[in-house]
Amino acid sequence: MKTAIFFWVKKMKYDVTVIGAGPAGLAAAISADKNGAKVLLIEREDKLGGVLKQCIHDGFGLIKYGEKLSGCEYANRSIDELMKRDVSLKLRTFVSKVTKKKDGFNLLLSSSGKLENIETKKIIFATGCRERTPKQVAIHGSRPAGVFTAGLAQYYLNVNGQMPGRKCVILGSGDIGLIMARRLTLEGASVLGVYEAKDSPSGLTRNIYQCLEDFDIPLYLSHTVTRLHGRNRLEGVTISKVDEKMEPINGTEEYVSCDTLIVSVGLIPENELPKTLDVPMSKYTKGAIVNQYYETLVNGIYACGNALHVNDLVDYVSESGEEAGKFAAIRDKSDAETIDVNFTSDFGYVVPQKIVKDSETATFYFRTSRIRENAVVKVYNKDEEIFRKKYLNLKPPEMEKIKVNIEDVSEIRFVMEVSK
Amino acid sequence: MNMNRKLKNEFGNNVKAKLIDDKVILSGEVSSWDEKVSAGLLVAKQGSRVHVVNDIVVKNLVEAKTIVSSINDKKLEGKKPDVLIIGGGVVGCAIARELSKYDLDILLVEKEYDVALHASSRNDGMVHPGIDIKPGLLKKKLNNIGNEMYDDMCNDLNVKFNRCGQYLCFTKNNLLIPVILTLPYFNLTAAGRAHFVGRKKLFNKEPGISKDIKYGLYFDGAGTVCPYGLTIALAENAIENGVAISLDTAVISIKVEDKKITSVQTNRGEIYPKMTINAAGVFCEEIAKMAGDRFFSIHPRKGTNAILDKEAKKNINTIYTSVNSFNGDKKSNHTKGGGIVSTVDGNVLVGPNAIETSEKENFDTEKSSIDNIFKKQKKAGTWLSGSDIITYFTGVRAATYEEDFIVEKGRNTKNIIHSAGIQSPGLTASPAIAVEIATILKNEMPDIIEKTNFNKYRNSFPRISEMDEDNRREYIEENPDYGEIVCRCEEISKGEIVDAMRSPLRCDTVDGIKRRARPGMGRCQGGFCGPQVAKMISEEKGIPLNKVRKGYEDSYILLGEKNEI
Repeated sequence: MKTAIFFWVKKMKYDVTVIGAGPAGLAAAISADKNGAKVLLIEREDKLGGVLKQCIHDGFGLIKYGEKLSGCEYANRSIDELMKRDVSLKLRTFVSKVTKKKDGFNLLLSSSGKLENIETKKIIFATGCRERTPKQVAIHGSRPAGVFTAGLAQYYLNVNGQMPGRKCVILGSGDIGLIMARRLTLEGASVLGVYEAKDSPSGLTRNIYQCLEDFDIPLYLSHTVTRLHGRNRLEGVTISKVDEKMEPINGTEEYVSCDTLIVSVGLIPENELPKTLDVPMSKYTKGAIVNQYYETLVNGIYACGNALHVNDLVDYVSESGEEAGKFAAIRDKSDAETIDVNFTSDFGYVVPQKIVKDSETATFYFRTSRIRENAVVKVYNKDEEIFRKKYLNLKPPEMEKIKVNIEDVSEIRFVMEVSK
Repeated sequence: MNMNRKLKNEFGNNVKAKLIDDKVILSGEVSSWDEKVSAGLLVAKQGSRVHVVNDIVVKNLVEAKTIVSSINDKKLEGKKPDVLIIGGGVVGCAIARELSKYDLDILLVEKEYDVALHASSRNDGMVHPGIDIKPGLLKKKLNNIGNEMYDDMCNDLNVKFNRCGQYLCFTKNNLLIPVILTLPYFNLTAAGRAHFVGRKKLFNKEPGISKDIKYGLYFDGAGTVCPYGLTIALAENAIENGVAISLDTAVISIKVEDKKITSVQTNRGEIYPKMTINAAGVFCEEIAKMAGDRFFSIHPRKGTNAILDKEAKKNINTIYTSVNSFNGDKKSNHTKGGGIVSTVDGNVLVGPNAIETSEKENFDTEKSSIDNIFKKQKKAGTWLSGSDIITYFTGVRAATYEEDFIVEKGRNTKNIIHSAGIQSPGLTASPAIAVEIATILKNEMPDIIEKTNFNKYRNSFPRISEMDEDNRREYIEENPDYGEIVCRCEEISKGEIVDAMRSPLRCDTVDGIKRRARPGMGRCQGGFCGPQVAKMISEEKGIPLNKVRKGYEDSYILLGEKNEI
């Protein structure tokens, strides 16, 4: 009986399967289809758009569309385009398991009433990222209700129309935290302050102005939340000053009464599935190691968007999806040599981490590891300088993008020169 | 009196001991809780039936009040159960299930909103071989009997149990001979067998272990279980066999006449039980006192564990801990030393530590505790990394000064049976404690008869992600909800969450569902599935979203519709 079922289930075969239908996945699916591939797009939620669905604030699309859109509007542009194309779509579908086959991959998909296998030649992981939790930044004390990651609070407020809190403390000056400070204020909640353990903000400068300063919300740098109080609902938090190593300084504790703590302390690329396929990950980005074609070190597996590295702007997320989709559709196995991209500790990271020596140019994304003024970023091929760009300001929250001529390179090295 | 001389040396004239009947009553005043505890430990004899009752007052210490549900109704008014069990921890629930084999009207009351909310969910889930307990103690006996009952019990209750074994690891060559010489002792006194393992075999079995380890002892009797999962299963099976469980129900006072309990006052009405069983965990002393039968004292001891991401699981298959000094049975160490435990659900637990505390319900965690347990366990697990921590918790254990279990009928009051001082290895011993209580009960109520229709099996909902593909497909085709994944980290389906909400014991909170079906247990800690689970509770229970609770009373997740403000 069971074997009969096994033979009866007809397996669909796709050229490219995109996992995740946020901005990266949408762009990847559209682009793979444009480039002639038979494409399947899988999304575990019931709607397309990923986290953009809950981003009702504006500021999206300045680079891609040259106008200021809300997250929902931005997503809708891609969704409209997707609908015009011949992409197979599976919503409310969860990828339970991926298995490597001789000529591609087998995916086990779980959805309401159905468990099915599909086959695909290539996979693009566009799985986005998850939020770091309060426990991951060593907040101790009690475990009451009223403690949210910023994205979760945003979901409750913007999707469910429910107030996560009335008297809020925000930990972390990441962009979602700043956006939520403004959002909660607009809904009538009081935001007592944004506390940041680092000595500089983690979010974009424009968000510091538009979300905090315009609303008189104080930002406390070099401060963190160390303790929660309250058994049922949160009653207050302990705030401490921190030293250069971001360790709390004894004796600086201060109690702040509040009913809600919103934590915006960073994002972690979601790569649980590629890890099961032994796709090597970068310790700097926490995403897969890729070449300029967005292909990981496992043949046929591609990665893009925030699953690859956490981007500052959605425009770049779409851009990487578009590229990954294109190359997944058109590229064959290459015999060309692959070389490493090296960088000094002045950089937080550089993506891609590998270069296949079969193209003329490559686009690199990087972040500085600390705030720099008047810095010169140079790229060397051995001792030969092949690229140079001067920056008045480099800040860790802001990603930079450069295009480098890589013809006949044998080694790539990023260095930063800082003039005093 | 020798006791008082010892006390005088330590505390001057501030503290006095007096032997009355079979209790040592301590009185006087000290300046700190730790002093009060050390006075108790100074005069106590481990395992003795003469217990310390510690009435020493700690200057300026205001003891926290027991937290009681604000519900005040008459739901239980006038009930006359044959047996009233106070406490829904693993012991109370094991007793309820054991007694449900008999033709008895049984009521279990638990003051919290769910079972297993105190020590029974706040431990490392180890089923102990009992290697660090002195022979002759009651807890040794009950540990060993209980340990052997685990395979059958967990099988019947559909609870995951892994008899994975435990390694004690040694770094010092000079301990080699003493360690080998203890083998016959352990084989005689521990549950299961003890084996010597050389370095090569040890690394073969546990490749993640520290390279400093030279050899070890392996105890094949050790295992792991999900402690709250077991408690819930025991409670559900007890309910299926006719036991009534009343949650949010706290005992407020007990009426005793002629050395007999006549009624028990709760926040939900007055109950008139024939027999009362005290399984109140850290509150067992209070219950004994209310029942006029206080002959022991509890000094609560708290311990913290860290839970690591499933990715850390690659470093450990069993349970291991590094041992620096070794005294065999000579030293009974109540801190237990903790260890690194690979759980049945694929996580790793590290800890616990042991700190004396006056606060029975303070489950706060401290960064210093985590730092200390990591420092200690890194000796065997050099791979331990703070970045793998997904969460941490603190439990408070009910230790007596004699550091032994008390499982006996009242000494003064006739119709009460105590299961008191149940600290580690209480989880292991719980099924044996339940049998012991049943034996005592049968002595007291000789005419009780066994039921013919006791069903030892508990039907639990399916664990979809753990099934093979064909099995899983059958379930999904039967019930479409098993195909819809709500919690992506743990791969939990909508069907499993609905099943959890419809199980025999009330379950209507996010944390309650988390303990049963595991959504939110993973690395994102409910960041994605939280809203889905909250919505499902709202729909299933017919309550507005802003009345959905995380767990405890009034622990509302949301504060109302956004335009209400």
